[in-house]
Amino acid sequence: MNYQEKPYSTILIFLLILLLVQVGESTGITKAISYKSDNQLAVLPFEGRNISDPLTSFVTEEFRNAVRSLKIYQVQDNDITERLEIYTPKSKTYWNCWSVGCAIDRGRKLGVNYVIVGNVEEKEDAYFINGRLFSVDLETLVNEFSLSSFSDADSLLLELKKLAYQVSGLPVPDTLGLDSDTTRVDDLSLNKNKSRFTLPKIPSKIKALIMSTALPGTGQLWSKKRYSGYGFMSTEATLGLAALISYYQYDQKWGNFQENYDAYLKGTDPHTLLEYRPQIVQYAKESNQYNSYMKQIRSVAIPIWIINMVHAYIVAPNDDFFDGEFFFDIEYDPNVNQVKTGFSIPLE
Amino acid sequence: MNKIVSIFIILFGGLYCSCTDADYTLGNKYDPSNMDLNPPALFFHPYEINASLGEQISVELYGYKLNPAAAAQLDIRYDWGSLKVDSVVAGPFFTGNNDAVEIIVDEQGVLDIFLYYLPDMESNESDEGTWSLATIYFSPLSTGESELLYGQNTQFRDAQNDTVRINDYGTGLINVE
Repeated sequence: MNYQEKPYSTILIFLLILLLVQVGESTGITKAISYKSDNQLAVLPFEGRNISDPLTSFVTEEFRNAVRSLKIYQVQDNDITERLEIYTPKSKTYWNCWSVGCAIDRGRKLGVNYVIVGNVEEKEDAYFINGRLFSVDLETLVNEFSLSSFSDADSLLLELKKLAYQVSGLPVPDTLGLDSDTTRVDDLSLNKNKSRFTLPKIPSKIKALIMSTALPGTGQLWSKKRYSGYGFMSTEATLGLAALISYYQYDQKWGNFQENYDAYLKGTDPHTLLEYRPQIVQYAKESNQYNSYMKQIRSVAIPIWIINMVHAYIVAPNDDFFDGEFFFDIEYDPNVNQVKTGFSIPLE
Repeated sequence: MNKIVSIFIILFGGLYCSCTDADYTLGNKYDPSNMDLNPPALFFHPYEINASLGEQISVELYGYKLNPAAAAQLDIRYDWGSLKVDSVVAGPFFTGNNDAVEIIVDEQGVLDIFLYYLPDMESNESDEGTWSLATIYFSPLSTGESELLYGQNTQFRDAQNDTVRINDYGTGLINVE
């Protein structure tokens, strides 16, 4: 019995050891997978100019896929990258994040090592794509790239692939061809803006300022500063409500005052005139009192309104106009602990 | 969403409401307060009348903040060469549930009007305040100015037949052209 039992126990021990080794290996693999890669890349949605939004999104996604297929970078999925939309809501453009500071900031928020920002423009039947690759870890601009292609789908997608090679630091193979469906580009390009006339772009800070000027708190809400936005909005709304109530009361008293005063001025009966007299005094006093309330409310509301405007300007996303085509910017530079202003005029 | 924005716009619009302070002048010439009378007082209303020959003139005898009174003798002096008394009608001062009792004595420019409040079981025996006591209707006899005055026999009595004090008396002027 003992002789026969030994092989079973040996096999059992062997299996147990094998199992432990496998578990250990699998743990190691898990660890290896969980290690954070140093090549995580986020391609921020391109800005489209004279080009439809769907086509811009399509180009961005094609570029993501092209870079991803080269396996040099781990390209973040678009749904994760576009979470950044919360920082500049209602805007799909990141052209305004053209500087190192902005790109690094967004890269950190997305938890990636590299960030690509860019824009796509159609001009005179040709596509132009400009982009910048930033290293979040090194806090620097790594690569700047651009391409132009004729306005046909094949050419655009091919150039995007070449661009992906260029960005990934790989040589472009001579045999590079298309394996993507290009019909969508033509379809989407038809969807571009019908009107070529577009208003000048409003910087985010100015936009927030205008919004908060028109409706207090809306600039902050647009900048996703909800608490301050709702705070300003509710404060001004409360004051507005108080002013409206005062106005309603004032209006009533003023109506009574006017009615009695007109009757007094036109009246000839001493008995009636004598009755109007205290009523006029009373209504005048009350209407003046409510008018005074309104003035007081306004004297409180207007400074808050102004503070709200300044606050909206401060908390709005910075557009970094120095590198773009915008002309003016105010920015705090923590390195020199100063607020700096910039003024630039595009020469194009 | 649009409704919410509209509500906010309306609320914020409240802050833009701009109103003016009530500015007034209580300067009506018929207001007894502007007649330089120290109440309780008697005056003519209107205190100045422009009329033409052939036109009937009416003047109210007015009490200004009178204390409770049950009867009155109104001694009115007028230019009997220029004016003729047509009639006298009691005003609301002595008219309660019942019409006032009135006795008119017109004698060479002196018009005595006796008015008595006629109370009953359900009403007061006297009245007070600023009311018309009586209305005199004149016919002008000739052109020119004619002054109206309260004579020294003018007096008021309360329900206990005590004298009611009158501080001041206004005058009137009828100008017939």
